[in-house]
Amino acid sequence: MEGTSRIIKRFVHATILISLLLLALNAVVLLIWIGSGISDGASPSAVVHFVSDDLHGKRDAYAIAPRSQQLLEQNGAWAMLIDSKGYVAWKFQLPAELERPYSLADVAKFSRSFLDDYPVFTWEHPDGLVVVGYRKGSYAKYQHILPVGWVENLPEKAFFLLAGNIVLALLLSLFIGSRLIASIRPLTSGIQALGADKPVQIEPKGVLANLAVSINHVSALLQQKNAALKARDEARSNWISGVSHDIRTPLSMLLGYASDIADSPELPAEQRRLAAIMRQQAERIRSLVSDLNLVSMLEYEMQPLGKKPLRLSAVARQAASELLNNGLDERYQLEVELGDESPQIDGDERLLLRALANLLQNSIDHNPAGCQLRIQTFFDPGNQACHVVVSDNGNGISPDELPDLLELPYASKRKRPRQNGHGFGLPMAERIAKAHGGKLSLSSEVGKGFCASMELPALSQKEKSKP
Amino acid sequence: MDELKQKKLLIVDDEPEIRKMIEHFLRKEGFMRIYQAGDCREALELCRSIQPDLAILDVMLPDGDGFSLLQAIRHISNLPVLFLSAKGQDEDRILGLGLGADDYIVKPFLPRELVLRLTAILRRVYIPHTPEKRPVFQLDDRLIDLEAGTIRHDGTNIPLTAKEIALLGKFYENHNRIVTSDALCQAAWGDDYYGYENTLMVHIRRIREKIEANPSRPAHLLTVRGLGYKLIVKEE
Repeated sequence: MEGTSRIIKRFVHATILISLLLLALNAVVLLIWIGSGISDGASPSAVVHFVSDDLHGKRDAYAIAPRSQQLLEQNGAWAMLIDSKGYVAWKFQLPAELERPYSLADVAKFSRSFLDDYPVFTWEHPDGLVVVGYRKGSYAKYQHILPVGWVENLPEKAFFLLAGNIVLALLLSLFIGSRLIASIRPLTSGIQALGADKPVQIEPKGVLANLAVSINHVSALLQQKNAALKARDEARSNWISGVSHDIRTPLSMLLGYASDIADSPELPAEQRRLAAIMRQQAERIRSLVSDLNLVSMLEYEMQPLGKKPLRLSAVARQAASELLNNGLDERYQLEVELGDESPQIDGDERLLLRALANLLQNSIDHNPAGCQLRIQTFFDPGNQACHVVVSDNGNGISPDELPDLLELPYASKRKRPRQNGHGFGLPMAERIAKAHGGKLSLSSEVGKGFCASMELPALSQKEKSKP
Repeated sequence: MDELKQKKLLIVDDEPEIRKMIEHFLRKEGFMRIYQAGDCREALELCRSIQPDLAILDVMLPDGDGFSLLQAIRHISNLPVLFLSAKGQDEDRILGLGLGADDYIVKPFLPRELVLRLTAILRRVYIPHTPEKRPVFQLDDRLIDLEAGTIRHDGTNIPLTAKEIALLGKFYENHNRIVTSDALCQAAWGDDYYGYENTLMVHIRRIREKIEANPSRPAHLLTVRGLGYKLIVKEE
């Protein structure tokens, strides 16, 4: 399915974009948070640096600049200077218990951690070591002791970590995406089947179970509708075939006895002539009834087709010969122009002959003063279709009346009443073309003749080789 | 011929008026022994008791259809059967003929047609030793004898080949009517016209050489351009 890979692709793109955005957002938030949380006022190391710089003077006469004093007060911190011997040489708000001499071990201990639980920070001073202490519990001190090699390839490691994250996100999105696609696939194929008017039954499972149930419901509804429509079409067609069946029996008697009287030599000529008219009219009803039946069967797609491979040119020759053999009046000339003989169609010969006969008869009926009739066949390699065209150079008809001619007589779509003939000829030909998967198109202009072109799909080379 | 008129005919139709009409036509034609049945049960009884020589069956009967009636009749008799039906559908025709009916006529029908087809069946079944003869006919001063496969002209016999006989047979069957090239190829080679155009033309020329006084200006076997050929035979 072409759509699936597209959906997966878009899904993956979206996932990567979302993860990158999340990452960037995290970085920004972290930076802001660090910036605002940690550098809240001056950092302890900055304070101790300032204090060390601002502490001037000699032994027992140290003074600190007001800037540093203010800084210490603000932070609630204390400060002291430990001289090289370990004694407190200067102090500022030093808690009393801390005023004691410090050994090297003490210094080493508190510079790394706490002095009596006070977080302390140290800075060197020309006379010793400045120590700034903060309130107990106000700062945490951590020692990070890292191998140099590890620190050196830290950027590489960070890069690989990021790349690994991206790959993981990709794989996850592929996994989730394909799971989603797998649950959508039966739904999409179900909807496609609905479009093709096929019954659909999807097993409702997964997240989209509700959707599956709705699709099944729609399918069931459509099937019901189709069945109802088909039943109605069948009922109509059966009704027509039933009526025509019931007409045939009484008509048999009319035709039989009229024919009997017309053929009785002992009766006066006038009576025989009248009986012959009755017979003729009964025969008209007969053909009308069977035409009506055929058209209704075609209309409701119930006419069985005896299809076999045919050459349209052969059918055209047959139709033309039948017209001539039945005595074509000399007011009409028939011209036959047959193209490529080789393409075949899959058709019902009897029905196609009937369609051509109808088209020819149509031209004859509408040009009582005579005209030139023409049957042409040709093959259109473009759309692999065989064409048979029946045309005349007679009266023609205005183009806006053409669509009417293909509607069944009495149909509400027909705007004008039929003019002559029983009106089944062209609609029947059109429905015969349709039953073969083809079409009938008409063209005409007043005074410029009439042209009916039947287009039927050609058999492909492969189908032709079948026995 | 009169032998045929003595045959016992059974008409099975649910419509008494139709039975009466058919009997009327058959009597007029000289048939004398005609029986009627209105349903399957009656028809089977009559088949057993009178053993008719031919049955005309309607397809729709009150207690069954004509097709199953035919199958039932076949258990007791091999008599020829002609279906007479108000259903014109092709599949009914094929079903009827496939079950072994001898012919199938659709209502409404002309009485002449019924009598002709019925007589043809009777003749085929009951008059033995009549192998179908090929036609013999006259074209001006030539006698075309398809049975013997020769043309007699000026006291000489011109022989005809098998294909020429087949083609002339087809022409005579449809004399004075156009026979399409397709139908001719079907008759002579059992194949369609496509691919046989030249072969057909050669054969037509040879036939003309045998039957025409002036083969390049044929008077009997005419070409109908684009469609086929036509054999002109003067009716006697």
